[in-house]
Order: sequence, then C-alpha cells, then structure tokens
Amino acid sequence: MDHAFQKDCLEILADKVERGEISRRRFTQMAAMLLAGAPALLRSNRALAQSKDLVLVNWGGDAMTAYDKAYGQPFAKESGIAVKMDGSGPTEGAITAQFKSGKPSWDLMDVDPFSGITLGKQGMLEPIDYTIVDKNKMRPGFGWDHAASTYFFSYIIAYDSSKFGDQVPTGMADFFDVKKFPGKRSLYKWGSAMWEAALMADGVAPEKLYPLDLKRAHDKLAAFKENVVAYWGGGAESQSVLMDGEASMALIWSTRAQLLEQDSGGNIKFVWDQGLISPGALAVMKNNPGGKDNAMKFIASAQTPERQLQMFELLGQGPANPATDALIPADKKRVNCVDPANMTKQIPLNMEWYAEHYASAFDEYTKVISA
Amino acid sequence: MTGKSVLPRTILLLAPLLLFLGLAYVVPFLGVIRWSVTLPEPGLGQYHAVLTDPLVQSVFIRTLRICLFVTVAALVMAYAIAYVWVRGTPAQRMLAEFCILVPFWISVLTRAFGWLALLSNRGLINTWLQAAGVISEPLALARNEFGVIIGMTHFLIPFAVFPIASAMRSIDERVLLAARGMGASRSRIFWSVFVPLTYGGLIGAALIVFVFALGFFVTPAILGGGRSVMVAELVYLRIFQSPDWGLGAAISVVLVVFIGVLLALMRRFIKPAHLVG
Repeated sequence: MDHAFQKDCLEILADKVERGEISRRRFTQMAAMLLAGAPALLRSNRALAQSKDLVLVNWGGDAMTAYDKAYGQPFAKESGIAVKMDGSGPTEGAITAQFKSGKPSWDLMDVDPFSGITLGKQGMLEPIDYTIVDKNKMRPGFGWDHAASTYFFSYIIAYDSSKFGDQVPTGMADFFDVKKFPGKRSLYKWGSAMWEAALMADGVAPEKLYPLDLKRAHDKLAAFKENVVAYWGGGAESQSVLMDGEASMALIWSTRAQLLEQDSGGNIKFVWDQGLISPGALAVMKNNPGGKDNAMKFIASAQTPERQLQMFELLGQGPANPATDALIPADKKRVNCVDPANMTKQIPLNMEWYAEHYASAFDEYTKVISA
Repeated sequence: MTGKSVLPRTILLLAPLLLFLGLAYVVPFLGVIRWSVTLPEPGLGQYHAVLTDPLVQSVFIRTLRICLFVTVAALVMAYAIAYVWVRGTPAQRMLAEFCILVPFWISVLTRAFGWLALLSNRGLINTWLQAAGVISEPLALARNEFGVIIGMTHFLIPFAVFPIASAMRSIDERVLLAARGMGASRSRIFWSVFVPLTYGGLIGAALIVFVFALGFFVTPAILGGGRSVMVAELVYLRIFQSPDWGLGAAISVVLVVFIGVLLALMRRFIKPAHLVG
C-alpha cells in the first residue's frame, strides 16, 4: 500500500550517478544489470522452478542493482543459488494475483511489514523460519511471523535553518507551531507517520500513541491545513519543496534529508527528535517455486552486517542487523536512522496497527487534506 | 455499384484501428465495468458511494469548476490567437504558429514543471515582483487550484485554437465585405457578423477543451500541491493506494459515461471538420 519509499531509493541511486558519486564503471554495470533483468521476467515459471533459482521482487530500477550487488551475488557465490531480481513491484494486489494463480513465479518480496502481516494472515506467505533466520540479528520487535526486517528509514523533521535564527526544532510540537517556527510546511501525501506526528504535537506521549486516536489526529491535521503548502508524494518532491524555499519545515524520509543537507550546503538541516521509524522487510511466497528453505537461507544471508553496510552506503537505508551499526564509519553514524544514539529519540511505527487500520485511516486522511 | 464497394473498403481500412481500439480500450474497460459492480461484493454499492461519498462529490464538483474556468480562459485566449493566425500579416501568422505549435509539442510533464519554476515561491514571477517591490511576501501562485488552472489552460489552448481557426478560415470574405458595404463599423462587423459565423468552432473548441480537461492527471498532481484536486487522481488513489478498486472503477465509469454524453452533444452541434482545424 505504501511503497513509495522503496521506489524512492532508486531515484536516489540514479541521482548519485548524476553527481558522479558512483563511477561510470559502476553505472555501466548497473545498466547491464537493468538490461539483464528483463529476460529474467520473461522466463517461464517452470524453468525457474527446475533451476531452483530464487526470484526476488522489489520496486525496480536501481534497487535491483543494489539488491543484486549487496545480497544476490554474495548469496549465489556461497550457496550456488542464483537470485534473479524482478523489479515489477510486489504490491498487495500483485502478490495476491500470483498466489491465486496457483503457480507463483516469485520467491522473495520486498514488502512493507504491515503488508506482510495482512497477506500472512490471508495465508499467502510462508511463516519466517526463525531456526534459519536469526532473530538475534534483528532489532528486537522487528521480526514478524511472515516478514523479516531488512532495512529501516525514518520520517523526520527537516528545516530551513536560515529561517529560524538559532532556534532548532526539537519535536512535533515545534513542527506544528508556526508562531515559534514561521513558514509553510510540507507533509506526506500517503498518510503514514503523519497521524503519529499530529498526535505528538497535540500532546500525546510517544509511548501512548497506539492505538492511534485517529479522530484527534485528523482534527489536528484539519486545523493545520492552512499552513501546509504541499503534500509531497515522492522523495524528489519533498526535496524540491524545501530547496525552493516553499516550505520552511517538512516531514520527510531520512534518506532524502541527508541529500538535502548536502545539496543545500548545510542550510537545510534535520533532527531525529520524535522521528518515526519505518521498517522494510522481506517476505516469502507460500509454496514458492525456489523452495521455502532456500528463500529462508537467502533472508538469513541478507542479515550479514557487511552486506547491510553496502545497502546503507548505496541507498542510505538504516541496517536491520544492529551489529552493522558498528561497521558504519564514525562520520556516517550521524545519518544512520537506527544508530543507537538516533534511535532513542525516535518512535517506530506500529506495523500491527498499520496492518489493521492503514486503508481506512488513509481514506480519512485523503478526505481531510483534499476537502 | 460504387456505393456497395465503398463501405467494405472503408471498414477494411479502418479495421486495424478498430481492432486496436477494441483490444486496448474496449475490452479492458469492460473489465473496469465488471470491477465496479463486483468489488468488494456484487451490487451497485460503489455507485451509491459515488453519489453519497462527500470526498468523491467534492472532488467531482471541484473538477467541474476547474474545467469550466479552464474552458472559458482557453477559449478567450485561443480566439485571439486564432484571429491573428488566420487574419494577421504573414509575419504575425508565423509568430502565432510558432506560439501554438512549440508548446503543443512539449510534454505535459515538462510544461507542468516549467510552470512550477515560474510560479513557485522562489520562481521567476515572485522573484521579479519582490525585486520590483510590488509585493513583500511571495504570492501563492502554484501548489493550489490557481496553479492547476494556469497549467491546464496553457496546455489546452492549442486544442481550442485549431477548431476556432478552422471556423474563421471558412468564413466567406464577401460576407464581411457586404457588411462593410452596408456601412457597418469595424466592431459591428466583428461582433454581429464575424463572431456568430465562428460559433460552430467555438462550441467544438469548448467541448474538446472541457472533455480533455476532465481527465487531467499530471498537471493537477504537480501543480495542485498534493491534494487530490481532480477526479483522475482520485481514481489513481483508489486503485493504487487504498485497495479500493471497486470505487475507483465506479468513478471511472461515471466519468466515461459523462464524457460520452458530452461527445454525443458535440456531434449534434458541430461538424467533425470543425474539430480538426
């Protein structure tokens, strides 16, 4: 349902190529990967089943390259099982269609954990085998019955420091306070984390957020509407709203906040205070063609700290395995959304709540912002 | 004999197009109709929702309002441009042609971002006005309904110019000469003779612009500030964001039926020749 973040990672990678942060050689490799990805999609289910290869479905483009480089190739080297990247996007609808066809061609899917919970309840996903996937290599609370966390990002406050003098926002109350911090704001179009932000601004204690009092959140958001210049729908848009000076403060993805700081020469800053952490996860299709155990082994291999470090470097995603934190260079720790120092300031989104309520909450949210 | 042979040949020539339209539009749309009466459960519940849901209603009303504004604005400007294009000096005509065709060939996405660059807070217009001391705070020109109307009008002007210019071209010069011979003033000739003779083109242009505007997606999404300003985006939300395909499908069907009715009206009022210019 809320896959916009995954797609955004691809844009970030593409940007890095443009900035010259990724070499032309790497770019050629990427292009080759992208081209090589297409035939994989065309191969029949049966061929894949026989070869025991795994198919990992994510959100396409450059994420295919990153997943392949960080996870796919090392796994193939150690297990002999090739992992094909399919960028067609594992929406809940697409996963359902695959499952109901009776002979799915997908093995692993990059899903929002709440989608994993929902689809798992409907019997479309294999339960994560925690005898193969090590729960100790996950942050506590981020392994679900049918989805295993593999990365993190966060919805945080980014602000134009030239507008507020020496003042620094320290939480959602400041974000919603246009007297103390004048200027327009930008919020996320698809609702996630915005309810939590509104409630905290309205005085709800972080530990008392769930179950969310949606009525109260929507009242707060409705009253604040005048101050919102734009509801951004994608990362690039969230960046331009701040860069163009249209908003003085915005709630945006941590991955984009880092880029903004860089692009604006430090003028646009971000804080972790009351940021809302969102996990990303892998799920396994029920009766997957490549075999359940192989898929579980792949997830286990993706827990390797060095591989997660690579994903952090490529996409700015926070690692799922806490052991990775130590590998991150000191000067980069500051931008790791799940670094212990940053994590204590933030609140994780409750995926069980999202599994149950996202659809109806988003509906109401759209009504409030569009009315 | 000839009458008999013409018809099959016409059909033969049109067959690839009809086949394409059938496979690419009609068949999938039947599926959309099916969704609208079967998801999440069989029945007309989704159509009931279209009629009663306050969000759907407010977006429909706003869509119609925006389309109406855009149509009027585009017609007025297109009329002036068409006049220069048809009746101007050769140099004026070339300029008009340039102004019509260059934007016409640029993608809708590029043009929407172009307007954003002009209209946003640090865009050219606000920067100039502030530098000139006309305003102290930037005007809210984009990321709202106003920005959407400007962006859409700009996109649709060429589509209005063609039918209007075609109507102007088909005016018999002698009628205007006759009016002058009868002693009519220039403005009298324009308003009482010239303009009425272009009504067909105007109605055609109005319907084309209006129908086109109803389905706009990209421009409102970029210039509208992320609120669901128009119906097409509402459909997108229902299909891709909330798993509510039934309602999305029902909204689409209502929109298509509405456009169908408008097109039927168009056929009654004007000759097809007026549409292509």
